[in-house]
Amino acid sequence: MAQIPDEHVATNFYFDRNFDSEAVKLLPGEYFVTNKDMMLVTVLGSCVAACIRDHRSGIGGMNHFMLPDAGGDSNNPLNASARYGTYAMEILINQLLKLGAQRSNLEAKVFGGGNVIESMTVTNIGQRNADFVLNFLKMEKIKVVAQDLVDIFPRKVYFFPKSSRVMVKKLRNIRNAEISVRESAYKQALDKVNVGGGEIELFS
Amino acid sequence: MAKTILAVDDSASIRQMVAFTLKGAGYEVIQAVDGEDALEKANQHTVNLVLTDINMPRMDGLKLLALLRKLSNYKTVPILMLTTESSDDIKAKGRAAGATGWLVKPFDPKRLLEVIAKVIG
Repeated sequence: MAQIPDEHVATNFYFDRNFDSEAVKLLPGEYFVTNKDMMLVTVLGSCVAACIRDHRSGIGGMNHFMLPDAGGDSNNPLNASARYGTYAMEILINQLLKLGAQRSNLEAKVFGGGNVIESMTVTNIGQRNADFVLNFLKMEKIKVVAQDLVDIFPRKVYFFPKSSRVMVKKLRNIRNAEISVRESAYKQALDKVNVGGGEIELFS
Repeated sequence: MAKTILAVDDSASIRQMVAFTLKGAGYEVIQAVDGEDALEKANQHTVNLVLTDINMPRMDGLKLLALLRKLSNYKTVPILMLTTESSDDIKAKGRAAGATGWLVKPFDPKRLLEVIAKVIG
């Protein structure tokens, strides 16, 4: 059975001269959590990013994912793509809790889900990703304090967990092709795997 | 009589998915939102199997596991861990504390039911 693509910690660190800040760049399928004053950056096409933080401590993080196209009934809570999305969100939330965030203090800002990849316009995967993340947060009673979702433009998102500040730049024509290529590759990798669950081991 | 499963997870989405799966297979399901809640419910009900997450507020799944194993009526009840954790380190801790098995998320409903049937079937 094919392995689930793990959600990975972002490792692409740099110093951003424009913002005079330590920064980390997230690629599709990555997440990052921190208790430091730094900047988390990502570029979104049809993918979504949830920026979640503890509003008391400023511990915060971001993910960047999309739902695999697993077929079946998308309204069924057990369909494979919803299970994958729930997993991607749980990874981020668990890492925040491990750093000391309180679940009841969490709030979210959500971005992305643009209808930017031409081959995806039939199913409008951006809308589906946006709907999923909003439904998930509602279910988990995590307040959404800002959002910029769907539409047709890719976005560059800058998130400062310490202060909760987010800046979103709509990319009207720059490098759309590059974003599309990267997201299509990520989507293909996701769709190829069997979302059949993680490993199972019985001890006795 | 239907067997009763205590399902423990701080995520409402996961609780919903797990409960839906188990009820669909004919099990009674008691839900708990963290280790403390689960411990209380474990004392109030007769439970045939515990399925618990690890990373949770207030009391995590490993602490719950250890405390349940100290209770005379939970010495032999199967306890399955359903978690995003997959490192050998933490698995070894779970095993030493008396876990019956380990399932790494995301879970597959069919395989979850197979494992449960094997353990309490």
